[in-house]
Amino acid sequence: MPRRRAGAATVLRLGLRELRNGFDGFRIFIACLALGVMVIAAVGALADALRAGLTKQGETILGGDVVFARMHVRAPPQDQDVFRGLGQVSETATMRTMARRIDGSDQALAELKGADSFYPLAGAATLKGGGSFADALSGGGAVVDAMLLERLGLKVGDKMRIGNEDVPIAGVLDNEPDAIVDRLTYGPRVFVSLATLGKTGLVKPGTLIRWRYAIKLPSNLANDREALADLRKSVSEKLPAGGYTSADRFDPSPQISRALERLRQFLILIGLASLLVGGVGIANAVSTFIDKRMKVIATLRSIGASGGQIMGIFLVQLVAMSLVGIAIGLALGVVAPKLIDVFYGDLLPVRLNVAVSLQSLGLAALYGALVALLFALWPLGRAENVSATVLFRDSVNATGGRPRRALIVLMIGLAGALVAIAVLTSEPRSIALYVIAGLVVMLVVFGWLGGFIARLARRLPRPSRPELGLALRNIASPDGLTRSVVLSLGTGLSLLVTVALANAALVADLQDRLPEEAPDYFLLDIPPSDLDGLKARVAQDVPHASLVDAPMLRGRIVALKGKPIEDLKLPSDVQWVLNGDRGLSYDDLVPEGSTVTSGSWWRKDYEGPPLVSFEGEIAKKLGLGLGDTVTVNVLGRNITATVANLREVKWESLALNFIMVFSPNTLRAAPHNLLATVRLPQGTSPDVETKMVRDIGRSYPSVSAIRVRDAIDQFSKIFAKVMVAVQVAGSVTLTAGALVLAGALVTAQRRRILEAVILKTIGARQRQILKAHAWEYALLASIAAIVAIGLGSAIAWVAVTRVMELDYVFSMNAVFITLGVAAAMIAVFGGIGTWSILRAPAVPSLRSE
Amino acid sequence: MSEPIIKLDDVHLTLTSRAGPVHILRGVSLAIPRGQSAAVVGPSGSGKTSLLMLMAGLERVTRGRITISGRDLGPLSEDELAILRGAEMGIVFQSFHLVPTMTALENVALPGELAGEANAVEIARDLLSEVGLSARIDHFPAELSGGEQQRVAIARALSRSPNILFADEPTGNLDGRTGKQIIDLLFGLRKRRDVTLVIVTHDNKLAAMTDRVIRMADGTIVADEGTGSGIHAVSS
Ligand SMILES: Nc1ncnc2c1ncn2[C@@H]1O[C@H](COP(=O)(O)OP(=O)(O)OP(=O)(O)O)[C@@H](O)[C@H]1O
Ligand SMILES: [Mg+2]
Repeated sequence: MPRRRAGAATVLRLGLRELRNGFDGFRIFIACLALGVMVIAAVGALADALRAGLTKQGETILGGDVVFARMHVRAPPQDQDVFRGLGQVSETATMRTMARRIDGSDQALAELKGADSFYPLAGAATLKGGGSFADALSGGGAVVDAMLLERLGLKVGDKMRIGNEDVPIAGVLDNEPDAIVDRLTYGPRVFVSLATLGKTGLVKPGTLIRWRYAIKLPSNLANDREALADLRKSVSEKLPAGGYTSADRFDPSPQISRALERLRQFLILIGLASLLVGGVGIANAVSTFIDKRMKVIATLRSIGASGGQIMGIFLVQLVAMSLVGIAIGLALGVVAPKLIDVFYGDLLPVRLNVAVSLQSLGLAALYGALVALLFALWPLGRAENVSATVLFRDSVNATGGRPRRALIVLMIGLAGALVAIAVLTSEPRSIALYVIAGLVVMLVVFGWLGGFIARLARRLPRPSRPELGLALRNIASPDGLTRSVVLSLGTGLSLLVTVALANAALVADLQDRLPEEAPDYFLLDIPPSDLDGLKARVAQDVPHASLVDAPMLRGRIVALKGKPIEDLKLPSDVQWVLNGDRGLSYDDLVPEGSTVTSGSWWRKDYEGPPLVSFEGEIAKKLGLGLGDTVTVNVLGRNITATVANLREVKWESLALNFIMVFSPNTLRAAPHNLLATVRLPQGTSPDVETKMVRDIGRSYPSVSAIRVRDAIDQFSKIFAKVMVAVQVAGSVTLTAGALVLAGALVTAQRRRILEAVILKTIGARQRQILKAHAWEYALLASIAAIVAIGLGSAIAWVAVTRVMELDYVFSMNAVFITLGVAAAMIAVFGGIGTWSILRAPAVPSLRSE
Repeated sequence: MSEPIIKLDDVHLTLTSRAGPVHILRGVSLAIPRGQSAAVVGPSGSGKTSLLMLMAGLERVTRGRITISGRDLGPLSEDELAILRGAEMGIVFQSFHLVPTMTALENVALPGELAGEANAVEIARDLLSEVGLSARIDHFPAELSGGEQQRVAIARALSRSPNILFADEPTGNLDGRTGKQIIDLLFGLRKRRDVTLVIVTHDNKLAAMTDRVIRMADGTIVADEGTGSGIHAVSS
């Protein structure tokens, strides 16, 4: 006789009825899910807002709708006519220089910007304390950063010397609308008119100066993304030898966009990591839930419910709880960026306009749903195996075995979908794969370790201390805390170690290694005729200083192997080589710090067709080999050279290294300046150093001296901000780990209360119970921490050497931090758990069994 | 006559439930002399288990006073109560309450170990053979039958040679034959060790074996019939 089964509707009704129990036992479940979804949604929302801000304010950021720029040479009238044919044009020129006191007693590196009377076309340039920016410049004065005045001890109304010209300081700069895209990394801004710039005598052929042409277009063109792209293309076709780089308001700074995109992916992966770690918490919560309902399941079983029906009833509840968790996560994810805007808005490059895209929210919700289902299915599937005998026998491990085949297949499918989404939405995809592989290794290692420790504890001889014995018994117990504590603590700590060591590697790379090998000064824009005098000057001031010089021009790669770069499809990690201007040099010998890896260097007096030596790694990524041609635009002229050899370059030393070094005959005739590095002997006194810089400034006003230490400090400051963001993100994962740990302890709470009560009935004192718990937690936490240090170091090694391509450094700090966090987490959560266990009244748990 | 080992003076127990206060015991007075065996009987819900929990110091009285071996339980701290239990009492529950992570031997040795007794394991081994479980000492509770688990629980209750043995329906979860074995075991052990036995039971046969039968209803003692002392009503 076929048995009739209640349909889906009944199962749904029964499941919904069970929801009457409220959120009891689901708080950790919801918290884990909400945290992961929140991070992913918040990151998505933040990135959306930044991207929206970037395009919306693109015109202001860029200084116009479209911008063309190039190094060294001002656009000739015929080029300017082409620009003017498009719309209103504003011309600016930017270069590094030294701003000096008139008496020559002090000087500082500055970023000089010459602007025409139309500047700025978008946004407003303003002065501190009011007044007209345009009037200040047209009157022949300079508008400067407050920082520079402070640095040189000058005030508005004083004069300062720029090049050969004494320029009166007319005002203090308040806002420069296009600052983010038109600034170099350091040095305070000095604004002058183009006419004043001309008078300084700094603008000569070969000077490292960037000419920029911002254009305001008619609004029908300006708002059309495609039209702008077409327009940029048509201009570069009209001016084939112009060598201009271009940008438009929809993507004002490819570098910033790319950096934001990288940051977004990194943060999403962190979110994913916390969501996956949280998955362990979800699995624990579902296990506890099923464990509590064991008698209910057995009762349902005994009155004829099928495994599928029982699963269905619980699934309804889990879906409902997941929806709650995801909804909370999404809501927090939308709110969090607003808070970030309120507190940190000033630090961001653009004003945030938090408008969350449905796409980001959808992705976060999808991740949440996949993770919740994936991790809930295993314990849920095991509920099917509960037999009615639980009613008769108090079995330790009633939910034995694995879920049925179909469920396991479903779980593999879900895991696959999760990996696929993570990988497909990441760029470069290898990073997502690394992160997921790392997490899977962690889960597998700590999952196994928990079982191993339990088995080991079972084998150990019984210790004589009863508290230790209790602890070992608990560790050995198959349904004890061992697995879940080791898994949650282990993964959380491993992530912590990984982040800490990656951080240490970055910091070491910046702070320890660079200054030792790096030169002390870079000297820019040395006219070739001044070189000998300059060398003598330096030798006189600092007798053992070593000065290395090289010719330096800036140019742009316009074609590879005869193909225009616009038509090339290249990996995103070399795109930067083609996007902007590169430093070019020439030499008749292999430069210091380089070694030829294939091909050969040209003869000393080579006079044949142009040859170039290319940096090996980048050449490989660009698909360039010996004999291929490279076309660069220098000083408005296209030069095609053949790759004669490939070099390996030691970049870290900050010596004079160039991606491209040409045969001397190629560039010698072009007007150019020299670049030099100066290394001071150890122990050079600051006074001597200051005198040297002052003397160079006096005798060679066009030369800019960049103190490498200042540049590195500047960079470190920016980097420190980024690292704070990374650490905050890392701490999110740790929070997930802490939640999971708390959840893991909760899973066993009911059992532990009963155990403590039983112990009390047979005469155990509170201190003894406390000691037993302390032993158990201390043993588990220290094993988890030690393995986490090992595993985290290994993962960090892969991340540092393979992904970040830095040298690996081991940091004892990371170890201490990990041990400290492990101790703190287990002490706090274990302490709270044990405290409530000891406080629990005896009778209810004795009665309920 | 010497001081009774268990003495209750006008003991009240009121618990608050969601529906309001529940008066579970309303003025129970009782004295059990050393060495006596007493059965507490009565309808379900009359307060038998509650009375036992109070006497074992697992629950505190709302009003009144309980003295065990001359010590007032009222002012004792949780730890002092635990130590007193360890030294004076053994408790056997209807649902055994063994520590599931420990073997039979470990369960029985535990009270002695907690009290720092050096020979706890040997004593446990002897006790387990006394209750007929020598072959099962390394089994975990989940691997034992109900009757076997109850015997382990009894062995554990006796492991520190208590003066008092409390048992709450020790046969309630067992079939008739096994129940009989447990009863024989309990009384055999009691004779040999001379402990005071307080047993809560629905089983008339078991009640008939004790020196005294205390009948409860609705939170009070309604009859206290002892062998030799005849049946007499207790005023409430
Ligand atoms: N935590 C509590 N809150 C409120 N009332 C309670 C609580 N625990 C027990 N009771 C009530 O106290 C009364 C006495 O319970 P007790 O378990 O002592 O009875 P009993 O005589 O042992 O019954 P049985 O023979 O069924 O075991 C019962 O009516 C019970 O409902
Ligand atoms: Mg009872």
